[in-house]
Amino acid sequence: MSQPRRSPHDSYETETTDHQTETETILLKHLPLSPDLPSPLQKDAHLQFLIRNLIQGFPSRYTSQDASQPWLLYWTLQSFSVMGVALDPDNKQKAIDTIMAWQHPDGGFGGGPGQAAHLLPTYAAVCALAIVGRPGPGGGWDQIDREKMYEFFMSIKLSDGAFLVAHHAEVDVRGTYCLLVTAHLLNMLTPELLEGVPAFIMSCQTYEGGFSSASQPYFSPEPEGPPTLLDSPRPPLGEAHGGYTFCSLASWTMLQPYLALQKPSLQRSSLNFKTLLRWLVQMQGSEIELGGFKGRTNKLVDGCYSWWVGGCFALLSSLGIIGAHGRDDNHESSTTHQEDEAWDDIDDSLWDRAALQRYILCAAQHPAGGLRDKPPKPADSYHTLYCLAGLSSAQHNVFLSSTRQDVIVRSWKTPPESMHERLRQACFSHSLSWTEEEGTSRILGAQNNRMNATHPVFNLTMTHTEGIMAHFYKQTIPSRPKKM
Amino acid sequence: MKIEIVVDPARPAPPASLVSRVAPAASAPAASDARGASCCILQRPEWADVVPLEQYENVTPLAPIFYTDEYRDATNYFRGIVKSGEMSPRVLELTENVIRQNPGHYSAWQYRYKTLMALKSPLDDELQLMDELAIKHLKTYQVWHHRRLLVQQTRNPGPELEFIANSLQVDMKNYHTWSYRQWILAYFNDDALWSHELDFVESMLESDVRNNSAWHHRFFVAFQSGVRNGDEDRDAIVRRELAFVKERIAIAPNNASAWNYLRGVLDHAKIPYSELQAFVLPYSLPQLPLGIPPEVVDLENPLPSKDSQLPCVAAVEFMADIHEAAGGGDLVKATELWKSLANEHDTIRKRYWEYRIAESLKTKSGGDG
Ligand SMILES: [Zn+2]
Repeated sequence: MSQPRRSPHDSYETETTDHQTETETILLKHLPLSPDLPSPLQKDAHLQFLIRNLIQGFPSRYTSQDASQPWLLYWTLQSFSVMGVALDPDNKQKAIDTIMAWQHPDGGFGGGPGQAAHLLPTYAAVCALAIVGRPGPGGGWDQIDREKMYEFFMSIKLSDGAFLVAHHAEVDVRGTYCLLVTAHLLNMLTPELLEGVPAFIMSCQTYEGGFSSASQPYFSPEPEGPPTLLDSPRPPLGEAHGGYTFCSLASWTMLQPYLALQKPSLQRSSLNFKTLLRWLVQMQGSEIELGGFKGRTNKLVDGCYSWWVGGCFALLSSLGIIGAHGRDDNHESSTTHQEDEAWDDIDDSLWDRAALQRYILCAAQHPAGGLRDKPPKPADSYHTLYCLAGLSSAQHNVFLSSTRQDVIVRSWKTPPESMHERLRQACFSHSLSWTEEEGTSRILGAQNNRMNATHPVFNLTMTHTEGIMAHFYKQTIPSRPKKM
Repeated sequence: MKIEIVVDPARPAPPASLVSRVAPAASAPAASDARGASCCILQRPEWADVVPLEQYENVTPLAPIFYTDEYRDATNYFRGIVKSGEMSPRVLELTENVIRQNPGHYSAWQYRYKTLMALKSPLDDELQLMDELAIKHLKTYQVWHHRRLLVQQTRNPGPELEFIANSLQVDMKNYHTWSYRQWILAYFNDDALWSHELDFVESMLESDVRNNSAWHHRFFVAFQSGVRNGDEDRDAIVRRELAFVKERIAIAPNNASAWNYLRGVLDHAKIPYSELQAFVLPYSLPQLPLGIPPEVVDLENPLPSKDSQLPCVAAVEFMADIHEAAGGGDLVKATELWKSLANEHDTIRKRYWEYRIAESLKTKSGGDG
């Protein structure tokens, strides 16, 4: 590859440009000789890295993750799933037993046994159970105490639509995301749980277009009754950030069925998608950064944003903001696509999918196995999953299919009567109508680099998502049309 | 232990050779002898009445962490305490011990806070301890949140701003530190607290004009946190901010933070981008306009510094937006600029710039038809 241009510094150096220059110098050494010939994905080495952690355990520097044990397991298991690997039954059972030791007696899951319930590990534990669990005694799924979990959720809900991540803990939009995913998977959605959540999400969008971690509510005191929440000011706390942006946009996506059921007067405002799209594309680093993503303006590229930022584009498509590649109406022609068709003819996405794959393959793989932020950093479980999931989202076009949604709605067992039932049915069919468009995957390098597609909202495979949702909603999911 | 390769039914199988190349892993460590460890700092008589609780009683966990004996010991006692519900001074000692070893242990923080409240402990001492821990563990959510809980009790936010300023010297883009500062200002909303905030941001941007956290903070102060005494003339605030950001762009034009700020101010005040055309144009050209004698310089529209690398991508984008908004024949100009971004100045975003071209044509034909 010809040497790409350095980022312009206008001969005015600051700490930001110092870090940028240093990173560019390192990344230059990872530039592939030809853009179409990136380093191959070292699947074996990555599997070995993950297996070592899983079976032998994590070295003591992971003590800092002691309150994130469900995450360590979820990152590992979902990395396996994305690579098309599953655990054997013995280890699956061990995983289930380990996860269930994290359930808090008063509902929700903690970061480890005896730890307080917290929204983040609750998401991780439930997703891990989606991967390894099953119905029946000892299978995990039926041992989740959903009633207590719901009580826990309501006990940390605030009047501005935000949630504390745990009792006496902070408000953070990651908590909203984790709660919504859990409630979707386990069939726990109610209008009460969702009330005010859309407005909270909206208030976290910053002038740059991305989202912050939280916002500050203001209230006007009322002579009688509780104070009323003011529309303004409601400032975001913290700048636009890739992780919070994914959580906000994925939450917004999950809220669509709920918003559609609202009275039109309550549907008036929305997000600013124009600035959001602009901000998202601005997060992709240039050629000299190998097309990796950064998480904030004027910060460095980092492998984990491959998922947090790269994953946002499929969500935007599902909201009709940008031309989704996958469209039901051209289904006929799409089945005729050949894998060897020119990339550009097929890929109408607004970001550079090939470049992101190049970053992950050339810079984010650690030679000793596992993936990382950037060289020369060590690999860890977190970056391993979010680099692999980002690779997957750069390879596949997964879109929300209205055809598929119709099929699922028609197969719903008992017609919904209450608002509550309609909400559950809508969320169920919405979650399960994500479909991979056939023949449009674009794998940079060898076919061995191919990842499984992953659910753009939940980050689980389609199979795992369908399995756990079919169980908790007591529905039979119609099989997908056979692949050609 | 064997790892089966099970293919997601929705996907083709990975190459078969992968199966054989997954090596057998070593057996799991024995979890049962964990209690035999004997370094135990807590094996003191005053703890004899507490029954330590092992983490995993009847389970051999998958993916265990190899704790140090000291950490295992402290957390075993912590679990014992949580179970018994004890809230006493020694609990403060124990939770501090756990937190020092793992500041991300949110349950230890939570229990510590509840104990402080139950004991009505002097919170100034606690804040002093936090001064030390926050600087040590800047990137941990909990150190900042605990501080927030304490300050909500003491209702004395005054010293916080200086503490935050010092922390930012260590890590100038720390997300938690900045959002904590915004919370302090918004929550207490006290004029005295706000009085030096613009000076503070300015000094932060002085040390690095590309610090996006500082730009965000400036937007928060100027536009998003209500109107304070003396700031009632909103147009004047907008003018002040436009002048400020133009000067910063002139120093180092290729600074996405400053351009985003400029856009933010204009969007917020609903000012059309075209009003900035005179300022932006020179930045969008391949080189500085020659032969402008310094005395003719338009103070309202500072020119790019002489070492600027032009054209500046953000300025080209901005000019294209101006032309797009003008519509009609100007769309051709916008398209030219987008093409130059797609093919020359900002090729990684080629698809986005091409999308902008396609969208503008759509709007045009929609408007005409
Ligand atoms: Zn990262």
